Amino acid sequence: MRRREFLARAGAGALALSPLGRGGLPRWTGSPPWLLVPMDDAQSDHLKAYGLAFRMLERGGRAEWFLNYRGGSFLLPADPATTRDAALAGISTEPLDDGTLVRIRGEIAGGNMDAVPLEKAPKVAVYAPPNAAPWDDAVTMALNYAGIKFEKIWDPQVIGQGLKAYDWLHLHHEDFTGQYSKFFLNYAGAPWLVDMVERNRATARSLGFSNVPAEKRAVAVAIAQYVERGGFLFAMCTATETLDLALAADGVDIAASYADGTPMAPDASARMRWEHALAFQNATLELSPTVPVYSDIDGHQVNSIERRQPLGSFTLFNFSAKIDPVATMLVQNHRQVIPDFYGLTTSFTRHTLKSSVTVLADEPGAPWVKYIHGERGQGTWTFFGGHDPEDPQHQIGDAPTDLSLHPHSPGYRLILNNVLFPAAKKKELKT
Amino acid sequence: MTRARLTALTLALTLLASPAMAQQSGIPRGFELERRGDYAGAATVYRTVLASRPADLAALLGLERVLLPLNQTAAILPEVRAALAADPKNPGIYGVALRAWASADQPDSIRATAERWAAAAPGDETPYREWGAAALSRRDRPGALEAFRLGRQRLGRPDALAAEMAQLAGADGDFGTASREWLATIRRLPGYHEVAVNALAPTPERLRDEVLGIIADDESFSARRLEAELLAEWGRPGDGLGRLEHALPNDKPQALGALRSFVEQLGSPRRPEALRARARALELIADRSDDAAAARARLEAAQAYSAAGDRDAASRLLAQMGDSPASPGDLPPGAASTLITVLAGEGKLDEAARRLDELSPALDAGDRADLRRALVRGYVKAGDLDRAQAVLGSDSTVDGLALHGWLRLYRGDVAGALAAFKLAGPFAGDRAEATRRTALLALLQPIEADTLPGLGRAMLALEQGDTSRATTALERVGGNLPPAKGGAEANLLAGRLAASAGDTTAAERLLRVAAVPEAPATAPAAELALGELLLARQRTADGIAQLEHLILTYPRSVLVPQARRLLDQARGAVPRT
Repeated sequence: MRRREFLARAGAGALALSPLGRGGLPRWTGSPPWLLVPMDDAQSDHLKAYGLAFRMLERGGRAEWFLNYRGGSFLLPADPATTRDAALAGISTEPLDDGTLVRIRGEIAGGNMDAVPLEKAPKVAVYAPPNAAPWDDAVTMALNYAGIKFEKIWDPQVIGQGLKAYDWLHLHHEDFTGQYSKFFLNYAGAPWLVDMVERNRATARSLGFSNVPAEKRAVAVAIAQYVERGGFLFAMCTATETLDLALAADGVDIAASYADGTPMAPDASARMRWEHALAFQNATLELSPTVPVYSDIDGHQVNSIERRQPLGSFTLFNFSAKIDPVATMLVQNHRQVIPDFYGLTTSFTRHTLKSSVTVLADEPGAPWVKYIHGERGQGTWTFFGGHDPEDPQHQIGDAPTDLSLHPHSPGYRLILNNVLFPAAKKKELKT
Repeated sequence: MTRARLTALTLALTLLASPAMAQQSGIPRGFELERRGDYAGAATVYRTVLASRPADLAALLGLERVLLPLNQTAAILPEVRAALAADPKNPGIYGVALRAWASADQPDSIRATAERWAAAAPGDETPYREWGAAALSRRDRPGALEAFRLGRQRLGRPDALAAEMAQLAGADGDFGTASREWLATIRRLPGYHEVAVNALAPTPERLRDEVLGIIADDESFSARRLEAELLAEWGRPGDGLGRLEHALPNDKPQALGALRSFVEQLGSPRRPEALRARARALELIADRSDDAAAARARLEAAQAYSAAGDRDAASRLLAQMGDSPASPGDLPPGAASTLITVLAGEGKLDEAARRLDELSPALDAGDRADLRRALVRGYVKAGDLDRAQAVLGSDSTVDGLALHGWLRLYRGDVAGALAAFKLAGPFAGDRAEATRRTALLALLQPIEADTLPGLGRAMLALEQGDTSRATTALERVGGNLPPAKGGAEANLLAGRLAASAGDTTAAERLLRVAAVPEAPATAPAAELALGELLLARQRTADGIAQLEHLILTYPRSVLVPQARRLLDQARGAVPRT
C-alpha cells in the first residue's frame, strides 16, 4: 500500500463520514444516526462483525474502521438494513449520536489510533480445487461464517487470466511445487490421495503442461503477476512456502521423480532465483522425497518427527496507526498474544525472510515468525502460517471446525482483517 | 517471605532431602528424577547404569523414555549399539534399537536390525511386527507393508502378521483386503474378534456388500460372528442374528459367548428391529442357561419384545415363565420386578397385581412403590382411571404426587393437576419425565378454566399412544381457548405431535396458528418449531424467513441463540452436526 496516498484517502474519507464534515450519509431521524460495532470484549460475535461491515459496503454504503479504538471497532450508519443485519447475526452494536461521535473522533485524533474509510466491498476469490470440502480451509470457513460472499477458482481460471475479476485472492494448503503436499509416498494408495493425483494430472494435461509441477509453477507465476498488477493476496499454511519455492525455482527441478519423472536437482538450493519470490530467500530445500517437508522456511516442521518443534504462542506487533495504517489494520484484535497452531507450514524462519518483509507477529525469542506482509509492484501479499487457528493439531480427517463455537477467535480475526483491508483501497485494479 | 527466610527454608529442605536422595542410586533414582520431571538428570543416571551394565533393559527403556520429552530420541543410538553387542538375543533391546533408528530416519539401519533380530529368533513374528511399526512411525507405509509381507513369506504362514496387514489396509481405505486379513486373524486368535468388528465397522456404505461377500465365503463360526455383528452395526441386526443363530455350535460356552457378544454389540437399542434381535438373542441365551439365569434372560427378552411392540412374543415368554417350576418368589428381586413391569406394560394388569401382592412381603418399600406406580400407568394405558386411582391410593411421595397430577389432568381437572404438579416439584421421575411435566405446566398455567375435559381426553389419548386422536382433540381445545390463555400452547403441542407423526401439512397449519403475536410467551417456540419444520421439508428460503422473523420479533427470547444456530446451518455458515 502506498502510504501517502492511503493517508490522503483516509483523511478525505473521515471528513466525508464525519458529522462535522461535508455531505456524508443519509441521516435517519428519530434515532441516533450511527452504530458503533465494538471489537473489544463487549462484542458478542467478533467474526460476524466483519461480515456486517462487508455487507454494508456491498449495499453501496460506506463505513469507517477505527484502528486501535476498542479492538478495531467499526462505525456504520444506523440504517434499517444494517440494524436488522446486526440483530439477525447477534452482533453487538452501540447507537451513537453526533456528539458522542465527535468525542470519539477527538480521542482517536489524540492517541495511537486512526479512522480509515471503507469504501467498496472487495470481490473475493478463494483458490481451491473444485471438489474441495468446504470445511477444510480456514478462510472458507471464516467467510462462510461471517457471511462474506466469495467465488472459488482453480487452475484453468488462473492460467486463463481469470484473476483480473477479483480484488482479493486467498490460497490455502495448495502445493505449488506440484508434489501433492509430499504425501505421495507416505499415503500411497489412500483414496483421497489417488483422487488428488488424478485430478491434478488431468488438469495439467488439459492446460497443455507435461506434468503437474510445470503447471503449478505457471499458476504461481500468474498469481505473482496478479499481485504485481495491484491484487491483494492472502495465503496460509503450505501455500505460503510452496508459492515462493515455485516462483524461485526458475529453471530448477525441485520436484521429486514421482511428480515429474525426474529426480530433484541435488544442487537445487544453490540455484534458486530468490529474486522472483515474494517473501523468502536463501532457504535450504529438503531433498528427500519421503520427508513431507519442503525447506527450512518452516520453523516447526510438523511432519518430520525428529525436527518437529512444539507449539507456543505468537504476539502481534504494535504499529503506529497514523503512520503504518496497513500493518495496523492487519493486526487489529482484542488479544495480543494468540496460541499457535500447526499447518504443513506453521511459521517462517527469520533467517529466510527478505529484508523488505514486514513482520506482523512472531513468537518472542523463537527463530521463527508467524504472520508477515509485503508489497510487490502495485499489490500486496500477506502470509499467515498454520492451517486452522482453532484446531491447533489439525490432522487429516479431523471433524470440521464449527466457528459458532469460536465467535471470538483472535486467530480467525486476523484472517478477516485481511478480507476487509482491501475495502480501504479506493482505486480499481490496474489489471 | 523475606529473602533471608527463603534462603533458610531452601537450605533446610535441601538438608532434609539430601540423605533420602543419597540413599537412592541406579534405576530407582532414575525413576524418581523422571517422576519429578528432571529428564536430563534421569538420562544421566540411566547412562551411568548402562556404562557398567550395557544390556540392562530397564535402564535402556528408561533412557528411551526420558529422551523423548528432551526431543533427543536418536541420541540413544550409542547405548543401543553397546546393548546389542552385550546381549545380541534380547528382544527388548532390538525393539528399542528399531525405534531409535526410526527416530534417526535411517531406514537401512531399521532393516538391518530387524533382519538381525529375525535371524536370532526364527519363527517369531515380533521382529517383523516391530520393523513395520518402526516404518509406520516414520509414516513409511510402503516400508511397513514390505516388512509384514517379508515376515509372512519367511515364516511360511499365510495368516502370519494378519492383524498388522489388516490395520494397514483399513487405514488405506482398502476394506476388502482388511476383511480378508481380519478373517485370518480371528480364525487363529479369536480374542481379536472385537478389534476386527471395530476396525471394519467404519467401512463406507458403498464397500459394505463387498466386505460382507468376502466374509460370507468363509465358512468358519468366527466369520459368522463377525458377519452378524457387522450387520448389526450397519443397521441390519435381524439379518445378523439370523446368520449367527443358524451357525451356533453345540458347544454351550462358545455359543453363549457369541450370543452375549452380539447382545453387547446391540447396546441399548430403540429401533424395533434391533429390539427384536436383542430379544431373540436373549431367548437363545435363556435356552442355553440354567434356571435362574434363564428366567432373567427370558424376562429381559420379554421386556425387549414389549418395547418393540411385539406383544405376542412378550406374552409367549411370560407364559413360559408361568409354566416354569420357579415361582416368582424364587426369582431374584430384580427379575421379579421386571416380570411385574412387563406384565403391566403388556396390559396383563390383574396378573401383575396378583404377582405384586405375592411378592410384596419380599420387596422393600421403594421397590413396592415403584411397582405399584408401574401398575397405575398400566391402568391409565388401559383407560381405567378408577382402578389407577385406587392402586395409587394416597401415595404422597414426589413420584406419587406427580402421578396424582397426571390422573387429575386425564379427568380434565386442570386446577387439581397444576396443584399436584407444583407439590411434586422438579424432582419426580427421571429427567425426561421432569422436562415433560415442565412443558405441560407451560400449557396449563395460562388456562383460566378449572376444568377442561377435552384437554384431559387429549392427554389421555396421547398417553395411550394415539397421536392422531390426541392431535385432533388438542386442536379442538386450542380453538376454544383465547391464544394467550392456553389456546396457542394447545395448538403448539398439537403441531409438534403432528410433525412427529409425519403429518407436516397439519403441523405447519397448527404451528402457524400457535405463532401469533397475541401469545408472546408461546409464539417464539412455535416459530422455532415452524422454522425447523420448513427446513426439514427442504423449504430453505421459507425456513430462513421464519427464523429471521423470530429473531427480529422476539429478540429477548431465550430461543434466539437456537434460532441463530439453525439459521447459520441453513445458510451453510457452520457445518451441520
